[in-house]
Amino acid sequence: MKRRFLLVNSMIGLAFLAGSCGGEEPVDEVNEIVQDTVFAEDQFAALFEESPEVDYHLPSPLQVASIFKKSGLDYNAGSTNLTDNADNYTDKLKQKLNFGVYSADMAYCVMNDQSNEGRKFLTVITDLSEEIGMEAVFENKDLMDRFDANLEDKDSIEILMIDIHERTEMYLEDNDMQNEAAIHFAGAWTEGMYLGVYDFEKNPGKEGVGAQITEQMSILNNIIKGLKDPKNDGTDLGWLILDMEEIQAAFDEFDSVIAFEADENASELELTDEEYSSLGELVKALREKIIAV
Amino acid sequence: MKRGFILLFVFGFAILFAQTAANLTEFKENIANQKVEAKDALKPYRFDGSKITYFNFKTYKQTKEVEIYLFNNTDYRFSFNGKSLPNDVTVEIYDKDKTQSNRILLKSFSGIQGENIVVESSELNDTYKNKKSNATRLKRVFVNYQIPGIPGAQNKTPTMKERAAVVLVMGYKN
Repeated sequence: MKRRFLLVNSMIGLAFLAGSCGGEEPVDEVNEIVQDTVFAEDQFAALFEESPEVDYHLPSPLQVASIFKKSGLDYNAGSTNLTDNADNYTDKLKQKLNFGVYSADMAYCVMNDQSNEGRKFLTVITDLSEEIGMEAVFENKDLMDRFDANLEDKDSIEILMIDIHERTEMYLEDNDMQNEAAIHFAGAWTEGMYLGVYDFEKNPGKEGVGAQITEQMSILNNIIKGLKDPKNDGTDLGWLILDMEEIQAAFDEFDSVIAFEADENASELELTDEEYSSLGELVKALREKIIAV
Repeated sequence: MKRGFILLFVFGFAILFAQTAANLTEFKENIANQKVEAKDALKPYRFDGSKITYFNFKTYKQTKEVEIYLFNNTDYRFSFNGKSLPNDVTVEIYDKDKTQSNRILLKSFSGIQGENIVVESSELNDTYKNKKSNATRLKRVFVNYQIPGIPGAQNKTPTMKERAAVVLVMGYKN
C-alpha cells in the first residue's frame, strides 16, 4: 500500500509537472496513468501471492484405484462410463468433470490389467483435454506411443499414468488453474466411489471394499471446499456442490458415523447395510447426473 | 515534454516490474527443479502429487497447514524440499488440524532450509500408536509449517528477500 501510495503520488506529480510544460488534457492523462499504475500494482502483488493458510492434498486417481484394488475390488466390465459419450459433452463443466471420470476409469482398467480398455480412455482424455484448454499436457502424442509400446507391461503403464498426473498438475499450476483440479477431482472421486459401490453391490460381503468406500468419504469435504474456490465462480457448479453436500450431510447423520465420531477410542468406521445402500444410491444418482449427455 | 516524463515514468515502472517478474520466474524454475529432486527422494515409492506452499516471511510468526490423507494401511513417504527458503522454518506433523487442542505432535524438525528431508508414514504411525492408547493407524496427517517472524521484513510489499516456498512431494508404496 505504501509503495502504491508513493507511486501514484509520484506519477500525479510528474503528470502535473508535465502538464505545466504545455501538454494537453492533463487530468485525463493523470487518470489514465493512475489506473495503469493500480493495475500494474495489482499484478505486482499477484507475483507474491501466498498459499492459503489451510490447504490439502487430494490423492491421484491411480492411488485411489490402487487402494480399491488392494481392498479386494474386482474388475466389472461395462461399469465404466461409455467412451462414446465423450463427444456429446459440449459444455465446459461436463467436459472437465468427465475428464476426471475417464481418468478414474483409465486407472481402474490399468490396475485391473485391462490395458486395451485403458487405451480407449487415454484417447478420450486426450480429446477432452483439447476441449478444456489442456492439450499441452498430451501434446506430441508421446504418451499414446508409450502406452502402445507398453500395453503388456502394467508397471510401465502405471508409470505413464503418473507422468500424465504430474504433467496435469504442473500445467494447472503454471497456468494458475489449480482451482480446476477440484472439478476434475470431483468427477474422478464420484467415478471411483461408483465403481466401488458397483462392485460392493454385486459382491456383498467384501468388507475391504466397503471399508474403502467409507474411507474415501473423508475426502469429500475438501472437494466441496475446492469447488467453492472463488476462482470457480462463473462455472455452473451449484448443482454439483449441492449434491455433494447432500451426500456429506447424509453420511454425517448415519448412526454409525455419529457413534464413531463420539468414541475417541474407535479405530475403524463400519456402516450398516442400510447405510451402505443409502450412500450407494446417492453416489449413483450423482454419477448419473455427471455422465448424462 | 509531458509525454517524455510520462514515458520515463512508465519505462521506470516497467523495468522494476520486469526485474521482479524475472526474479520470480527464476524462483519458479528453481522450484520445478526442487520438485524433481524431492520426487527422486521418494523412490521406489510411487509419486502421487505435490503441494507447494508459497509464503512471504513477515515480521510476525505465521503457520501454514497442509492436510494429507493416508489410506488403507498404505505406506507413504513425504519429501520436503526447503531449497527455496531464505530462512529456516519448523515442520510439525500432527494427527489433527490446528483448531484441535488435543492433537498429537507426531514429528517436528527444523533445518530444512537448503535441504531435502524425507519422512515416512510408518514412523508417524509408530509415534501415534505410542502416544495414543488403542490407536490403530493414522488416516490423515496435518503438516504445519511454523514460519518465524523476521525483523525488518516487508510485510505489505514483500521483496525477493521475503519470498519463500516449501516443496512437498507425496508418494506411496505400491
